[in-house]
Parts: sequence; structure tokens; C-alpha cells
Amino acid sequence: MEKKGWDGFEIGAMLRSFDGAARDIATTLPENRPYSQSNLFKASVADWRIEKPLFNKDYCIDCQFCWIYCPDMSIIARDKKMVGIDFDHCKGCGICVEVCPTNPKSLLMFPEQKDEEQALAGWPKKEKNAKAEEPKED
Amino acid sequence: MSEIKKIKNLKEFSTSADRFEGANLLCPGCAHSIIVREVLNATNDDLILAASTGCLEVCTAVYPYTSWDASWIHIGFENGSTAVAGAEAMYKALKKKGRLKQPDRVPKFVAFGGDGATYDIGFQWISGCFERGHNMMYVCLDNEVYANTGGQRSSSTPIGSSATTSPAGSTSYGEKKMKKDMMAIMAAHGAPYVAQVAPNKWKDMVAKIQKGFAAEGPVYINAMSACTTEWKFAPEDTIAISDLATDSLVFPLYEIIDGTKLNITYRPKNIVPVRDYLGAQGRFKHLFTKQYEHILDQWQKNVDDKWTYLQRREEASV
Repeated sequence: MEKKGWDGFEIGAMLRSFDGAARDIATTLPENRPYSQSNLFKASVADWRIEKPLFNKDYCIDCQFCWIYCPDMSIIARDKKMVGIDFDHCKGCGICVEVCPTNPKSLLMFPEQKDEEQALAGWPKKEKNAKAEEPKED
Repeated sequence: MSEIKKIKNLKEFSTSADRFEGANLLCPGCAHSIIVREVLNATNDDLILAASTGCLEVCTAVYPYTSWDASWIHIGFENGSTAVAGAEAMYKALKKKGRLKQPDRVPKFVAFGGDGATYDIGFQWISGCFERGHNMMYVCLDNEVYANTGGQRSSSTPIGSSATTSPAGSTSYGEKKMKKDMMAIMAAHGAPYVAQVAPNKWKDMVAKIQKGFAAEGPVYINAMSACTTEWKFAPEDTIAISDLATDSLVFPLYEIIDGTKLNITYRPKNIVPVRDYLGAQGRFKHLFTKQYEHILDQWQKNVDDKWTYLQRREEASV
């Protein structure tokens, strides 16, 4: 894409989000949209991350808290189900992990280099609540 | 009037296709984009948007990219509201002359602004829009500070907060003045709908946004936006801090209809002490020293007084 300098613009410049005619975007899923090269969807902030969230669908209850509270539209939800994470747009803030209500959490933060299969294999088991553990300590 | 989008629960809501794209330059954990998503996803209609200069504008329109999948106007600091009002006036004129190309599609007009653009710099313009009665919505992303330029105080900054132009130190406890009551000012314009929302209470927020879209005339929405950089908390705690703000009644959620009838829309089951909310943020750290402890008591008293006032307003329905 050709980049213009600050003085190469005409007043009232326009950036198009889509190539060609785009109607009913509100009901078109991202995979069916005709994104143009100037749409931020085509860009990536993956290099911002130090830690990445990983998703374990065995424990997920599809509550969609992560979807609603994700500031970067990086939780992919299709047909009311949580499908995965968009690692091109995730900045690694960790909100999804904080709001996840399951026990153990179905989303956890891992170092960026961590292998996904390895992480899933070593996923923490269900935590017993404090009350159940008390007698053992005595 | 177009149909109102049905949103019964979060699962149903999650089938929405976002019209706001990621890879923008907002900080990790910024509440701005959570609010924008909740506003944009509340409707399936066409949108005509503008944003006053602030974090949201500079982070979502970095040349050669745009983050917006709807018509969006890049405009000055003060006139986000008037840009949208102008577009709305044009729409009305074209409609009257029968020159709309797609008369069956009724767009929604929304302006976004930070608290700097709303409480201080753009105040006169917003007041003008509300006086003229444009059919638009103004959403204030209230993070209580000029976060985009490095944390200067605005008239939304609450008492005791340390900002770069009101720093806390050995002789000062930070910001000396109370927060401006923008809700009351906008309601006094006689606006059909004025509401305070928080992104963590998504259902309450979406219901209010839809009410706002359905109302005829100018609508003001004051959205609390927890700022991880200037409020000084960890990015993953955005929702936790927002929960503390609504549960401690620092940000009571209420609406004012036709400038008079006040409804409280969220009553926390367990009211959290204001101390917990303040203690979770770095900008109030200095209040927890012996020297400035009296400000904590004043904070609690202010919040209690405000809550009593709101309840009395609701009861009297005036």
C-alpha cells in the first residue's frame, strides 16, 4: 500500500474500511467481510504481548463473559459458543482470565513462547474449596 | 422507526458481529473499547459516528488505518458533537426533500468524547446540540483525567486524585475540587434521556443504550471508563475496579427521563466502603497516610450524601 506524507493529503481525505460496496456489516461475520488494506483488522498487535491467554474448552461453560469484556475483540464466539482466541489482535491484558467463572479457569495466562499442547496437558485440576480442606490441616 | 435488536442474554448478545476492530492502539485493558463495543453492538442499524479528540480518536485512526466498520468522522477536540449534529441535520433535510438514496434505512447518530472533550473543552458545543434538539446520542467516556496527553486534571477529576497538574505531595493532597455533576447539567437541558452507565454492568448498559436510541431527541450517556494507565492499576483488573466503583456507589447507575424523572437502575446487594475503591488505585495512594486521612472520610460522606439525594429524587419522582 502506498503511503503518503503528511502534506500528500487532500482536505477531507477518506479511508475506506471495505473494498467495494459493503452493506449490513452489523450482521456479517468478520470472515465474510470484504476488509480493505486500511482496515485495522488487517494489522496486528501480537508483538505487544508478554503473556498470552490459552483456552481449554473442556472446562468452558460458554458464559461469554470473556467475549463481552474483551477490549480487543479477540475472543471468537460463533453460534453462542466460545471458539478460540484471535492472537493477531490480543494485547495480553488478562481481563478474560480474571472474569472467567469456571473452576479451574478455562482461560489462563502463559508466557508467549509456551507450547499450547504442553500447557493443556499441564492444566491445573479443580481446586477444592477452603472449607473442605480445613479438617485435613487439623 | 427501525426494529430494536433483541438481546435477552449474553449468549444471544455474543452472536453480534463487532463493527469496531482490534489492533487499535488503546492500552491493554482499556475500558474505552469495551464501552464502544457495547454501544455499537446494541443496534444492527447503520451508524454515523464521530469522536472528539482523545484516547479513542487518536488510537483508532492511525494513518493509514481505521478501526471503524461504520461511517466515522475524525474531527477536532471540541466539535465531535456538532459534527454528528450536522450530519443529522443533513439527513433530516435530505429526507424532507425525498433525496435519500435508501429511505428505508434509518441510521443512528452517535458522538463519542472523553471527559476532557465533554466536561471542559466541548461543553459549549454539546450544550448547543442539546438546545437545538438533534436526534443524536452523545457518549462521554469518563476516565476522569486527560489521559491522552499525559494525565492532566479535567473538571471530571474527583477530589484527592493525583494528576500531573494537581500532583499530591507534602503540601497538597492532589485535586482540590469536586467532580462536576454533568448528569444534572445535561438533564437540565430537558433532554429526553440522560443515563450513567458502567461497562461491567453490560445488561444495564445495553438496555440504556437501546432506550437512548429509541428516544426522539438528544441523549446523553455518561460511561465510566476505568483507565489502567492514569488510575494506576494492573490491566487485568479493569472489570474488578469497575465493579468496586459501582458497588461502592462512587458511580451510581441511574437514568433521568425528560429531565425530571430519576430512576436508580442498579442497587448493590452489599455496599462496599469507598475506601476499598480508592485503595485499589495508585492515584489515591497518598490518601492512606496520616496527613491526608481526613479526605477519605470526606469521600465517604460525599458518596453517601449523593446516594441519599438520588434515592430522595427517585422517591419524589421530580
